[in-house]
Amino acid sequence: MAQGRTPSQTIGPFFHEALRWKDGGRVTFAEAGQAIVLAGRVLDGAGAPVTDAMVETWQLSPLGRTPAAASGDAKPHGFGRVETGPDGRFRIETAMPGGELPCIDVAFFARGLLKPLRTRVYLAPLEKVRADPVLKALSASERVKTLVAEPTAAGEYRWDVRLQGEGETVFFAA
Amino acid sequence: MNDMTRPDTLDPPYLYPGYGSTLLRAPREPLLQIPAGTLDVPGPSVPRGFARDGENDLTRHGKSAPLGEKMILTGRLLDADGRPVRRSLVEIWQANASGRYAHPGDRHDAPLDPNFSGIGRTFTDDEGRYRFVTVKPGAYPWKNHAFAWRPQHIHFSLLGNAPVQRLITQMYFPGDPLLAIDPVYNSVPDEAARTRMVAALALESGIEGIAMGYTFDIVLGGARATPLGI
Repeated sequence: MAQGRTPSQTIGPFFHEALRWKDGGRVTFAEAGQAIVLAGRVLDGAGAPVTDAMVETWQLSPLGRTPAAASGDAKPHGFGRVETGPDGRFRIETAMPGGELPCIDVAFFARGLLKPLRTRVYLAPLEKVRADPVLKALSASERVKTLVAEPTAAGEYRWDVRLQGEGETVFFAA
Repeated sequence: MNDMTRPDTLDPPYLYPGYGSTLLRAPREPLLQIPAGTLDVPGPSVPRGFARDGENDLTRHGKSAPLGEKMILTGRLLDADGRPVRRSLVEIWQANASGRYAHPGDRHDAPLDPNFSGIGRTFTDDEGRYRFVTVKPGAYPWKNHAFAWRPQHIHFSLLGNAPVQRLITQMYFPGDPLLAIDPVYNSVPDEAARTRMVAALALESGIEGIAMGYTFDIVLGGARATPLGI
């Protein structure tokens, strides 16, 4: 029997202790892979840091597969969950996702977000990202670059997220 | 009822001026329409051992019982076709009976309860059922508007089987007069959908002479995400 879905509500400002997982920012896989770091800042419409967001990531394994199930009392493979800090920064230590066009699905939850903001960050050059069929509606737009992380030091990818305003990150209708 | 094709009629909008915190956090650009099914992929699989026995009983986290009305909260986690979402992680958090969170950011001048952290987690069973033992949270003031008070509520976080089922919501209590003035609750445009966030009093699911009973079923989206045959 079809039933009506339960609506979304904001995570509010007081989720930290409840949703904080041990090593939530260190993503594990059943396979070995190339270690990378995805790091950045979340900013609001005034350019101020969003200091009370939760960031969740989900991605393919280093071999390009759906991450295998973890066992025992471990957290799930392939999944990251971190809070932004007082400066709006977040940091995820993970492995390079496999596949032709490496990317990580990201969801943001925060006070003031009545439902999560979803998007995808690409660890690949802009020209390749532009050709992704998922971004077809956007392929000619300058805004595609808001979904591309910039390699910085060895193994680090920098990705700043603007919830609103100039340089606003592209979010998905989902 | 057309939730699958018009999801925005069910969930709140990003920009809801009555809830001031949305003003600088809601995106202003149109959302990108992505091909159907893009995010309808298998999600994280959380091992059953991730939650320990007893983490569903919030009244046993201290040296003695917390203050407040003890309650048994039970319900089912279902998909949009009414099928149980089995062996799935349920995380909750709430204020204590005085309306104060055990959180450094909560400045409300109400007492902390040393015997209550307000945090619990559990897994649904093979029928999609979950059970928590807790106390009824208090209402508390917030600075959204003059004389603003949040209705009593418990926060729920559900992973479901797939990213499309991921849900964070709040459970409210029946008959709470503060629901009528709460912008977070009223940000959901459809009245029937709002009502689905309100628990039902079910005294007989409580414990005779000890704890009141409430039931709260949660329905996730993405019916296709439930694996066939389980």
